[in-house]
Amino acid sequence: MSALISTVRASLSYRGREGHWLWLLHRVSGLGVLLFLILHVAGMSSAFISIEIHDRLLEMYKTPLFSIGELALAFGLIFHAVNGTRIAILELKPELWQKQQLATRLAIIIVVLLAAPTIIIMALGSINAFFGPAAGH
Amino acid sequence: MIKVHLKIKRFNPEKDKKPWWGEYDVEVEPTDRVLDAIHEVKWNIDGTLALRRSCAHGVCGSDAMRINGRNRLACHRLIRDEIQNGQITIEPLLGLRVIKDLIVDMEPFFAHYRSIMPYLVNDTDPGPRERLQSPEDRARFDDTTKCILCAACTTSCPSFWARGEYVGPAAIVQAHRFIFDSRDQGAAERLEVLGDSNGVWRCRTVFNCTEACPRGIEVTKAIGEVKQAIATGKVR
Ligand code: HEM
Ligand code: HEM
Ligand code: SF4
Ligand code: FES
Repeated sequence: MSALISTVRASLSYRGREGHWLWLLHRVSGLGVLLFLILHVAGMSSAFISIEIHDRLLEMYKTPLFSIGELALAFGLIFHAVNGTRIAILELKPELWQKQQLATRLAIIIVVLLAAPTIIIMALGSINAFFGPAAGH
Repeated sequence: MIKVHLKIKRFNPEKDKKPWWGEYDVEVEPTDRVLDAIHEVKWNIDGTLALRRSCAHGVCGSDAMRINGRNRLACHRLIRDEIQNGQITIEPLLGLRVIKDLIVDMEPFFAHYRSIMPYLVNDTDPGPRERLQSPEDRARFDDTTKCILCAACTTSCPSFWARGEYVGPAAIVQAHRFIFDSRDQGAAERLEVLGDSNGVWRCRTVFNCTEACPRGIEVTKAIGEVKQAIATGKVR
């Protein structure tokens, strides 16, 4: 446990460059999506136990807190997929390492290009659902 | 001369329960090295400050430390390049036990170094002359001959912080220097060591090591080449 704490502390205090922070975000997003997946499958399985619990869970998903969580999930997935592709390419072609700064910037640009519209559309949809004319239905 | 406020992380396990920040004001030239500022503290302000250094010219590899949060050689960095708002922060390397102040226990680091057989392995008779090699074959591993075993790379690696058993970038660089040497015959044995669970596959391609290396060695690339040699079984 103390090894975990000292590793987390070192990871946050070392002033690495982009690669360091992308690595941290890759791990956090990977574990975050994994956590979601576990809860997701558990939530879906609740239908086997009781349709009532299942329905109540589905109602819960329609609250603002979960809508914000959905945005984080969408960003996490997009980031993880794009950054994971960057890592895989660099792993397979070590000779490309000199372009790693470029690869990092490209990955960030692609993430922003994909995530920005996704998050805006999702957020607008949620805002409409919560505050729009049909709110509460 | 300019004034520099030095913040140095101090820890004497015989006296201190926890590390603490020593703060010192020194006057140095902007073109002095960070090491000169530390000497100013040790020689004129507080002689109990403990650090390693020997050559003071970036050759021996003994004064790697964390300067403004990044692994650097103190004798390699100029004051004017490191000073931020009149201040420079200095800490010991991460991931190795602090013996005192800026001195860490390098033994685990050197144990990893020894584990990859950092010497030429070749039992054939070289004859009356040295073993010859073409300039191209020599160039193949030129980059990794430059390592001075300062540990800046290994102690900048998140995988090493998380697991001290990971051989670390420096040992892989040293292994690379022999694996890709046409005169050497120990590649299979070294790849065996580096292919196990504490070998190259702990590398997450973070590039902290490449960024930290004071010799400008392409550390992540060397690790990538060793990964490929293990994955394909071919040493090229
Ligand atoms: C969408 C396609 C995906 C791609 C291209 C991808 C790619 C990658 C790559 C290349 C790594 C290795 C990172 C490294 O060596 O530093 C990785 C790690 C990881 N991935 Fe993914 N992944 C994807 C989807 C997912 C999903 C859906 C989950 C969770 C359910 C996930 C969870 C993780 C975790 C937990 C790690 C370990 C993180 C670490 O070692 O720091 N990934 N991923
Ligand atoms: C917030 C966005 C998401 C929504 C609204 C959603 C909704 C659903 C629904 C309604 C089902 C049941 C489908 C059926 O049984 O016919 C399902 C199944 C599933 N989803 Fe998602 N999903 C989302 C995100 C994800 C993500 C990001 C992953 C992967 C990391 C994922 C993985 C799965 C898997 C593996 C199943 C099948 C397992 C099961 O039914 O329990 N989902 N999802
Ligand atoms: S590869 Fe560079 S950073 Fe690592 S030990 Fe050798 S000289 Fe130091
Ligand atoms: S004192 Fe020798 S490398 Fe800095």
